[in-house]
Amino acid sequence: MRITASRAQPWLRGFLGEWRTALRITATSFRARAQYRGDFITALAMGLAWQTSVLVFATVILTRFPGLGGWTSGGVLLIVAIRLLSHGGFVLVFNSLIMIPYIVQQGALDGYLIRPMPVYRQVLLYTFPLNALGDSFSALLLFAFAIARVHLAWTPLMALYLVAAVIGGVLLEAGIQTFVSILAFRFTMPMAVFMWFDRMIATFGNYPFSILPLAARAFLTYLLPVAFVAYLPAAVLTGRIASTGVPGWLAYASPTAGPLIYILARCAWYRALRRYESVGG
Amino acid sequence: MTTAGGSPRSALLPWRGMRITVITELTQPVRYVTQLTMIVTQLALTYWLWRALYAGVKVSAGLDVTQATSYALLGVLYVQLRFVDRWSNGDTMVQLMFEGTIAYWFVRPVSPRRWYLIRMCGDLGYGVAWGLGAYLACRAAGAIAGPPSLAAGGAALLTLALGLVITYYLQVIVDLMCFWSTVNDNAVVAVQFASTLLSGAFAPLWFFPGWFQRANDFLPFQSTLNTPLSLYVGRLPVSALPGQLAVQAGWGAGLGLFTWWLWRRAAARVTVLGG
Repeated sequence: MRITASRAQPWLRGFLGEWRTALRITATSFRARAQYRGDFITALAMGLAWQTSVLVFATVILTRFPGLGGWTSGGVLLIVAIRLLSHGGFVLVFNSLIMIPYIVQQGALDGYLIRPMPVYRQVLLYTFPLNALGDSFSALLLFAFAIARVHLAWTPLMALYLVAAVIGGVLLEAGIQTFVSILAFRFTMPMAVFMWFDRMIATFGNYPFSILPLAARAFLTYLLPVAFVAYLPAAVLTGRIASTGVPGWLAYASPTAGPLIYILARCAWYRALRRYESVGG
Repeated sequence: MTTAGGSPRSALLPWRGMRITVITELTQPVRYVTQLTMIVTQLALTYWLWRALYAGVKVSAGLDVTQATSYALLGVLYVQLRFVDRWSNGDTMVQLMFEGTIAYWFVRPVSPRRWYLIRMCGDLGYGVAWGLGAYLACRAAGAIAGPPSLAAGGAALLTLALGLVITYYLQVIVDLMCFWSTVNDNAVVAVQFASTLLSGAFAPLWFFPGWFQRANDFLPFQSTLNTPLSLYVGRLPVSALPGQLAVQAGWGAGLGLFTWWLWRRAAARVTVLGG
């Protein structure tokens, strides 16, 4: 027993040490970004403005087109809230993935390969995403607003499911963007590809997919799994699984899609990294 | 005596720089293949979404299903095609500034202002080619309806052209900001956001609350896209054209003067990092 504890101690120390290093780098990045005050304030304002506009638009749509697929306005707001909160978490942790084309072109990735830290983590720590502060703050506000409007009899299990759904949404978005970033190892990739998925979720992730025709629903569920970010978890929480058209078990298991896709993406990313060739040859 | 340097032919030579965008894009298949995939997906989903929203409603915000769908699809085309990605080629103004290559802009026989215009025209030409192709495909598929009359179509085209001028000047302002601030990343994103949301490219502005629309009237963005699209779908009558043209001309002239002044100030303070 003592042997196990003594083995676990260095591992734990190492684990905590790695977190400490990551947090220090994050704090340094934040201070560096905050030096450019104009840029700093613009970023905060941007995050807030963007998410607020999404809320304004969602509210307007709900007013003008009532009874979207039989969903109440509270239910639709819950979809929007889960999506925004997931997106806020994604931007906070994984936003630097979109910098990979630039990191590769600058040859900085070559340096990452010889440092004593996983390359993927170094990419994530590349810069502090200032806009995430505004995004997350407004997402939290909207989330509180939606929870108050949805009128659900919350149980601890439902609350736990909601937390799992948000984390799943974060990892799903991260997984997709990780897959996309693999392309940057081989091609001069336009930033628009990263923004595309972002925009797809922002545009279509706010509605109950039951209003869409079958082809669109299938596309957004099985090819580009936007449904798993917020729609399916919200359907489970509001008891509308039948209207989703997906098997019940799949709707219930929707928060696990994110972690699964993320693990697959990380494996694929490291496999691709093994074949990476520096821009300098 | 006519010198080679003063002939009309040599005056046109710098405009060959417009080709840079199309050459860059077409030599990298991953760029146009992804562009095509994104446009097709976005258009199809937007079409389905707006048709679905109108399933139980005949008219909303003064737009029927055909008008709203056409407006939204044209907005998608505008967003997808307006921004040519120069960033991943290290070809944005702020990147040139960081690398010091911005200095070449000021020693060439073409003024930086002219060169900027040439490059932007190249971007616009490339975007328009895609946009026109996608528009014709949507028209053939019946997804986008035609304008209610020839006059409405002409008015939409005219206001779109002026809208592009305003968009150009707004972009100049953002790009020139990096002569004063070391970073302008978030300013670029802010303008992209503003010009997407406040122009009506994200969703038809007619659906937004009254206070939002009234506040937006004081900004230049709505006249870049909302005006031409509203004329195109018939939400604004052609009789509103003179008023809209006056607003656009006012913004265009004001922003044009401001950017002219900015270029002069920028030229006086070119900083090449590293000395």
